[in-house]
Amino acid sequence: MSEALGRVVATERKPNTPHEFHFWTAIDSPVGIGTIVRVDGANPMDGQIPHIYGIIVEGFSYTDLQSPMHDVLGHDGLPTTAGYAATERAEIRLYTAAVLRQIPEEPLQPVPMGQVFLAEEADVQVALRMDSYLREGANTGIPIGVYRAGGTEAVIYLDADFLLGPEAAHLNITGVSGLATKTSAVEWLLASLFKHFPEDKGSIAAVCFNVKGPDLCYLDQPGKVEKSDEALYEKLDVEPKPFQSVEYFAPYTAKGLALNTFRNNEALLDNVTPLTWGLREVLQFAEVLLNKDDIDAKADALIDFITENVVDKEFSDPILSKKHRVQSFADLDAWFRDVLQGMERKDGESWRTHHVATIRKVRNRLSNISTRCAGLVTDAGAVSDLPFGSFEDRTVYVVDVANLEEDAQDLIFARIVSKLREHLERRDLGVKHIVVFVDELNKYAPGDGADTYVRKMLLDIAERGRYLGLVLFSAQQFRSQVHRRVVGNSGTSLFGRMDPDELSTPGYAVLSPATRTKLATLEKGQLMIRHPHFTQPIFVRFPRPAVMQGREGSERYPQASDVSLDAAILRALRPLDPTISLPWVQEITALYTQEEVIRARNATLLARPDNVKAYFAAQFRKIIPAQAAPRPMAGSIKSAPENDPYGF
Amino acid sequence: MLVSNSGPDAASRAAIRLLMRRLPGASAVEGSSNLELSSTSEQPQLRSAEIVEGSKLRANKVPDVTRTMASGFGAFLDGAQKVRMIGRYESAPLVLGITSAAVRVRVNRRLVTWGDQPPRLEHKLYLPLRYLPLSMEPPDAGQPEYGQWPVVDTSTANSNGEYPSPHPTMLLERAIRAVDQEREALEDELAEAWCARGEAPLFVDGGISRSGRVASSTNVIGVIKSHRTLYVEGEALKTVVGLGKGERSSVFLVSPRSRHAVMSWYLRLRDPAGHDVLWGLVRVEMAQCENPTERADEISRWVLAETSPLALPDGRWDKMSYGIRDVEEFLRAIS
Repeated sequence: MSEALGRVVATERKPNTPHEFHFWTAIDSPVGIGTIVRVDGANPMDGQIPHIYGIIVEGFSYTDLQSPMHDVLGHDGLPTTAGYAATERAEIRLYTAAVLRQIPEEPLQPVPMGQVFLAEEADVQVALRMDSYLREGANTGIPIGVYRAGGTEAVIYLDADFLLGPEAAHLNITGVSGLATKTSAVEWLLASLFKHFPEDKGSIAAVCFNVKGPDLCYLDQPGKVEKSDEALYEKLDVEPKPFQSVEYFAPYTAKGLALNTFRNNEALLDNVTPLTWGLREVLQFAEVLLNKDDIDAKADALIDFITENVVDKEFSDPILSKKHRVQSFADLDAWFRDVLQGMERKDGESWRTHHVATIRKVRNRLSNISTRCAGLVTDAGAVSDLPFGSFEDRTVYVVDVANLEEDAQDLIFARIVSKLREHLERRDLGVKHIVVFVDELNKYAPGDGADTYVRKMLLDIAERGRYLGLVLFSAQQFRSQVHRRVVGNSGTSLFGRMDPDELSTPGYAVLSPATRTKLATLEKGQLMIRHPHFTQPIFVRFPRPAVMQGREGSERYPQASDVSLDAAILRALRPLDPTISLPWVQEITALYTQEEVIRARNATLLARPDNVKAYFAAQFRKIIPAQAAPRPMAGSIKSAPENDPYGF
Repeated sequence: MLVSNSGPDAASRAAIRLLMRRLPGASAVEGSSNLELSSTSEQPQLRSAEIVEGSKLRANKVPDVTRTMASGFGAFLDGAQKVRMIGRYESAPLVLGITSAAVRVRVNRRLVTWGDQPPRLEHKLYLPLRYLPLSMEPPDAGQPEYGQWPVVDTSTANSNGEYPSPHPTMLLERAIRAVDQEREALEDELAEAWCARGEAPLFVDGGISRSGRVASSTNVIGVIKSHRTLYVEGEALKTVVGLGKGERSSVFLVSPRSRHAVMSWYLRLRDPAGHDVLWGLVRVEMAQCENPTERADEISRWVLAETSPLALPDGRWDKMSYGIRDVEEFLRAIS
């Protein structure tokens, strides 16, 4: 057993309570804010020596000096002479610790006097109640980092049952921007989760929405791992290597030539899949893109009518000039045009109870979607989507929406999460648990502002997702600006370095001033953790993720600039077939319009055929190229019969 | 030496409970306060002393006094006592005396308790047994005990075989003097132990002449803050009260009755301007030596060096070294 480093003290002014105690230490004691200590009570209770575990939340230091003036007088007002005093003043290091756990737990009494020891690794497990889920047969511990104090190094584990459900779920991380803490922490935690998530709990995958910058764009590329981090990886039993299975999804740019992602360098395109949706996919989530003024009851009724009766069906009506089968935005626009023309012809103001103004409004709004979400939503209706139903275990699916307009981001987020939920409800997603990572949560689920579709959906995940295996890992700079029910339902919270203004908000009042100060000065790689098993926040250090960081990745794999149509096709198809060359592309596509060529490319990428060249070329066979009509042979003039009486 | 005055503590309550059980008719004294030292009842006096540095007492500037000078003291010794009249039996006072003493050693400029000899702490009952119907337990090792409390009889006969009168003040005076002697004995015990170790010079709060071994030791220095007896007369008095900051008097020999002779001198620690004449004035005692001038200069520099940090908030901070204040705080904590 180590030597005692302090003694519990209590005075009338500063009494100990069942949840807080005070102790003093030697001046050079290796303790500080966040250090976990153990108190051994002096008197047994029911034959058992009480052990109290606490974490230091406040520290005081003072001397026997009654007034600063006395020190000034003592040194004749000359600070430089203070160092020559024969004796240092008596000085105290007095700490306040919050109780983590008392053993025995009943009866719960004020902390007794006793000696204070630095908590060792086994003590840390008991103090944080990790012993309940690290024991044999209940191994649900997920390493989150290493707690360090004095000579103690202890791995801190989260309980998978409380991180991914069913007991509790969700994780929220807060921290200032620019320190790469939030993204790094999530990357590290996913790596740890993939390694340590118990096999008997089923499969797990993650869907990460990259909402800004290139940070999540190189998860499959190795990053630099420092020596100190290697030791952490070893301690935490995670291999320092990038994710083995990562799939990227990104829509096209508005022009439709290149993928709208930081990861569109040709060298990295082999696991990047276009994300394109058609009318059917979008119409279901029209509410995301239409504001409340747009979707009044009348408009909503018309959209429902279209969804139920028009899309993907043979639709005919007396006022229409022909039968319609609407499968794309282009088809829908043609249908609207026909309906409106028919009404004009009849000089009618309504059609099937829908007023002409409502029809015009809905047409305007829906047709506008393909413009607002160009690159994602295709007029033609080509669909390239996440592999719902065949998600793979321990795979990260990154959806890059960083360069998209807000509407498109919302649409992507709403639809993907809804689909995940649908599949999880049906138990046919392909994996049993899915982690959804969303950064900038204060933008998607703000505490104030309009009650958007996305916010409602996030609330729904936060409150009910754990029963389905749908777990939200969210991050933001200002937790106080996120909807309380979203962060409140996060069983686990991580805090990186915090903005002092944010720390001054009421949500942090439960933390001691010293803890808040520590939070405002945390180094990179340090986190404060709140977890259901931990009665107090714990500080840990985690290793830098073993993946390429965004800045390094964007330098090594520069984002492809806008290219010509032929070059874009070449870049898209070459990962499927390296023998494809630019001349070949130019030859195949020479006679076709850009729209036709892009359609052929999309179809090829979607099908991923064995014979890419043949498949791509086949997309054009249906188009018969215009050929110059052969010059008709001049017909021979029949000679008049010799006996023709009218012949000349 | 610390004299503290606080409300009844656990020891006082336990002692009076015991006495009231054994002494039917004894009553507790509410709000028992600490009793004054007998020394304060002594009349201030001037006494002549033999000058051993030159022929006449003069003021000497202590040489080489700088802000950066080092102190040669390695430890500090002080004692403390609490004297409480916790009860009375008829007119006889029942007194609890708590005496303590400790040496605090300087290690890396911080003071810690001397590991060789633990601090002394004693609780005793000071009872005029002659005037109490108290059946004592058999004496053990020469000192009677009463329950867990050693008892000191304050009604023993003096050297002339006369017993003190039952006058309560007389009995109280004897109790206080007995506590005083207990405390001094503890201090001497520790000082002698220090001498035996022969370590760095020890700064003793008070005189060093009680013990022959201490009085003759070169590594024990006594610093006296109170001046009820001034060892100067006539012009010498003017010289002493006229000492400026950093000045010392000539060395003289102090040889009180029933004590051991030591060399001594007055030293002004702080500028007395605007204060009474004894402000910042201490008297230093050391063992007799052959080079009193050099030795007095050296020790004076040490004592001056100990004036920082200030011993505030103690009211005697003008004369007290911080090391002694530290010992007093330590004793206050343990007693």
